[in-house]
Amino acid sequence: MEIKVRIDGVDHKAQAQLIKGTLWVHHNGRVFTVDAGTGRKSRKKAGAGGSSDQVMAPMPGKVTKILLNPGSAVSIGQAVLVMEAMKMEYTLKAEIDGTIDSINCTVGEQVALGKALVRIKPTTDK
Amino acid sequence: MGKFSRIAIANRGEVAVRIIKACEELGIETVLLHSEADIHSRAYRMATKTICIGPAATAESYLNIQANINGALAGGAQAIHPGFGFLSENADFAEATRKAGLVFIGPSPESIRSLGDKVHCKELAKQAGLPLVPGYQGENQDVAHLIVQAEKIGYPVIVKAAAGGGGRGMKLIKSSAEAGELIESAQREAQSAFGSPKVFLEKYLDRAKHIEFQVFGDSTGNVVHFFDRECSVQRRHQKIIEEATSPSLTDELRRRMGEAACAIATLGKYQGAGTVEFLLQDGEFYLLEVNTRLQVEHPVTEEVLGVDLVKMQILTAQGEFVHDPKQIRAPKGHSIECRIYAENPYLGGVPSTGTLGHVEWPEGPGRRYEYGFDDGDTITPYYDPMIAKVIVWDETRSRAIQKMIRVLKDSVVFGVHTNIPYLIEILSHKEFVMGTMTTRFIETYFSESLKEPTLSETEKKVAEGALLQLRGGGESATSLAVSPWASYWRGI
Repeated sequence: MEIKVRIDGVDHKAQAQLIKGTLWVHHNGRVFTVDAGTGRKSRKKAGAGGSSDQVMAPMPGKVTKILLNPGSAVSIGQAVLVMEAMKMEYTLKAEIDGTIDSINCTVGEQVALGKALVRIKPTTDK
Repeated sequence: MGKFSRIAIANRGEVAVRIIKACEELGIETVLLHSEADIHSRAYRMATKTICIGPAATAESYLNIQANINGALAGGAQAIHPGFGFLSENADFAEATRKAGLVFIGPSPESIRSLGDKVHCKELAKQAGLPLVPGYQGENQDVAHLIVQAEKIGYPVIVKAAAGGGGRGMKLIKSSAEAGELIESAQREAQSAFGSPKVFLEKYLDRAKHIEFQVFGDSTGNVVHFFDRECSVQRRHQKIIEEATSPSLTDELRRRMGEAACAIATLGKYQGAGTVEFLLQDGEFYLLEVNTRLQVEHPVTEEVLGVDLVKMQILTAQGEFVHDPKQIRAPKGHSIECRIYAENPYLGGVPSTGTLGHVEWPEGPGRRYEYGFDDGDTITPYYDPMIAKVIVWDETRSRAIQKMIRVLKDSVVFGVHTNIPYLIEILSHKEFVMGTMTTRFIETYFSESLKEPTLSETEKKVAEGALLQLRGGGESATSLAVSPWASYWRGI
């Protein structure tokens, strides 16, 4: 809905809507989201940023290829598995050096956003 | 052939809406052939009749030839419009349509075979003496053989789906180390998107512009071109921003490329709307491929020429459209299209799915919106992430850019993230503004995710006030100090 917020005597017009606990705001040419429960900027979804010992699904989609087996050595940036979503292939890569600890998905499986697909045991001397 | 009273639409999303509108203007009813996943969409609500042809998976619905034919027959249609993507460039589908006694709104199966298959098309172009990018277009699809051919051409090499388009099944190979993996990946994408794993290889031109010509063959087989579009702004070979006409062509180049486009379309006995794509580098142009269908970016041509390509397609299929030799078409002003993708620009463009909240496309002169979903509709992970197209027209290119930035800023999409912030950055980039961008523009300047701006103090207060108002609290939050939310902002 359209809202108006007065800040330091100036009216700011905006569009805002609460959707499943997230506040969506359009203000001054920009859309941003805020977690309505905590009031903080919405947290990034799983799979984004940070060096993780897991390879997580960055979106809902289908696993189309698993490139390594448990026990295989893996290095940063190496392709670990391939997913397909919206007709595009996405190659998921390891974010750390190590060995494949476990693979928690199968080829053809439809996986949810953020699912930990592969766990990597980090190389200990790093 | 006679007039159609009802046309079946073998597609979804915004293009289905576009076709329904053209049909409505011509007084033709529509049957939407849709999957189970697409009942929450504008096309579903707008079509005269809807028939579910299968489950969400494209192979069982939108790519299933027999299901589409059965649906069209059951719906009482006399013709099928395939839109773009899916079966639009599938000669077997065009042929099956004809065999079922229906009219395929597009070129003949023979034309699709000779021009639409990229490998055959290159053979034809060779015969016509048109310039081609060096590459391998052989039948041997063995990965080891393809790697040898790639080495021969010399990296960087691009691998493409023979039956494809739209960037799917297309990969850039920079060295032999990654060749095998990328070729296999391209073959899988080609199989899944187009039903055929066949690929070919091409030398990658590293500072080329993507220029294409809209061609149109009328009911008598006379082919003319409707000028050019530039689509150099591409990410992973998927176009993001297109414009008409290209800021890069001299009159002389435009004339020569237009002639080449008509020559190849005429050789392929082309009927209806098609696009001849070229790469332009150092003043030399090379034939890339022919898309034997309506193009996603057709609106920019429509805007600068004042034509309706979809209506022309339908009239041509009815045997009624003939180019008037006395009519001289000349482009006027400049038009730009931005594709709105449901994705998160701050997370490297990963698809964003979910139920749409409030959606608003701000009206005004020279603005046009092609969209397939409204408030409450669902963006599913099954299909292409493009949810809308924003098209502007203005008298000059720089004004069109200015207008587009304004329009994008004023557009509202809640519920799923979109690439709008990314588009605004691109439109503001010096190289785009100058018109000198090449197909490497995105990888050169926008290979990283956009950095998400932190919320400003004003934005925090607006959000606070919004929460209070939406929850039925006070008029507005006026002071951060007394706000019940104040403590939550710390540590952002």
